[in-house]
Amino acid sequence: MTDRPHAEELLEAVWEFLSGEILPTLDDQRLKFRTLVAMNALGIARRELEAEEGGLGEEELRALAARIRAGDVPDDAHAMLKEHVAAKLRVSNPQYLEPYG
Amino acid sequence: MHADGDDLLVRRAAGGVIHEQTLSLEEEFEVLQAAADAGVRVPRPVAYLGELGGREAFAMELVRGETIGRRIARNPPPGLETQLADELAKIHAIPAERLPFLRGGDVLARFEGELDSVGDPHPAIEYGLWWLRGHRPEPLPDVVSHGDFRIGNVVVSERGLEYLLDWEFAHLSDPREDLAWPIVRAWRFGADERRLGGVGDLEPYLARYAELTGRDVPADDLFWWEVLGNVKWAVGCLTQCRRHLTGVDRSVEYAVLGRMAAEMEYELLDLLDD
Repeated sequence: MTDRPHAEELLEAVWEFLSGEILPTLDDQRLKFRTLVAMNALGIARRELEAEEGGLGEEELRALAARIRAGDVPDDAHAMLKEHVAAKLRVSNPQYLEPYG
Repeated sequence: MHADGDDLLVRRAAGGVIHEQTLSLEEEFEVLQAAADAGVRVPRPVAYLGELGGREAFAMELVRGETIGRRIARNPPPGLETQLADELAKIHAIPAERLPFLRGGDVLARFEGELDSVGDPHPAIEYGLWWLRGHRPEPLPDVVSHGDFRIGNVVVSERGLEYLLDWEFAHLSDPREDLAWPIVRAWRFGADERRLGGVGDLEPYLARYAELTGRDVPADDLFWWEVLGNVKWAVGCLTQCRRHLTGVDRSVEYAVLGRMAAEMEYELLDLLDD
C-alpha cells in the first residue's frame, strides 16, 4: 500500500491544476485544445481505475476477431460486441452513449 | 511569409501517416494544382519546396475562416449542403490521367491490412468488415476522390464554403466513398439532427450532386458507405494512436485517438442493429 494521494487522487490533482491554473492562462487555440485533450486523457485514466474488472479478455477478443475475419460469426456476436464496446465507452466517453438511449 | 501580397502557408510533412496510402507532399501539391485547375475552391498552390530541414514542404496561399467542426455545426451558413455538392462534383470530374500516381484498389482489403498493422484485436471492426464483405454494392466506376471530404476540412465563412483543405488522402475510388464520408456520425460534430455533416440535409446535397454529375445516388445507397466510413475512421484512430505509441510522432492528441475508436465501433454496431 502506498501513501495518499492514490492514483485516482493524483490524476484528479493534475486535472484540477490544468483546468484551474493552466487553461485560463492560454491564448493559443492549439494549446488550449491540447490541454483539453490532456484533461480528457486524465479523465479516461481515472474512470478506468474506477471501472469494474470483467468483460472479454485479450485472448477472447483475439479469438473472436479471428473467427469473424474467417467468416465464422457466432450468433450472439452482435449483442456481445455491443456490450463489449459499450463497456469501453463507459470508460473512454460515457456521454457518447447517451443519444443511443 | 509574404509573396505577391498574399500570406503564404508552408505545409510540411509530419512524422508517420494515418493511412498507408497517404500521398507524399509532392503528390499532394500536384493534386492541389489539378483541383485548382478544375475550379475547385482550394488555397492557391504556390510552389513545391522539396525537403526543408529533412521534411518535404510546399507553399500555398494562407486562407482564413472557420474550420472547427463543432463551431460550423452549431451555426452552419445557409446553402452549405449544395456548395459541398458543387465542390465534390468538380473533384470527381478531375481526369485521372492528370494524376497517374493516385492509387485505387479494394477498399476493404485496404482497411483489413491497416487493422492488421495495429496488432491489438478489434472484433467489432472485424464485424463491420464482415458485414461489408457480405453486402458489397455494384461498383460505380472509379473517380478522383478527395479522400477526407467532410466538415473539419472545409473553410467556412458567413458566405458559405470558401476552401477545401487536406488533400493528402486523395485516391481513386467509387464516388460514393467521398459522398458518404461527411454523413458519418463523427463528422456531424454533435448536430445529429442534421445528417449531412451536422450542417444540413442529405437530399439537397444528393440532388445537386446528381444534377451536376448525372450520378443519381439514392440516400439508401449510402448506407453501406456509411458503415464503411465508421470502419475507416475507427481504423484511422487506431493507426494515428500508433504514431504516438511507436514514438514516430509523440502527441497526447494521437494517444487519446486510440480510445476514440470505440465510438465508431459502437456506431457501426448500432447501424447494423436488426
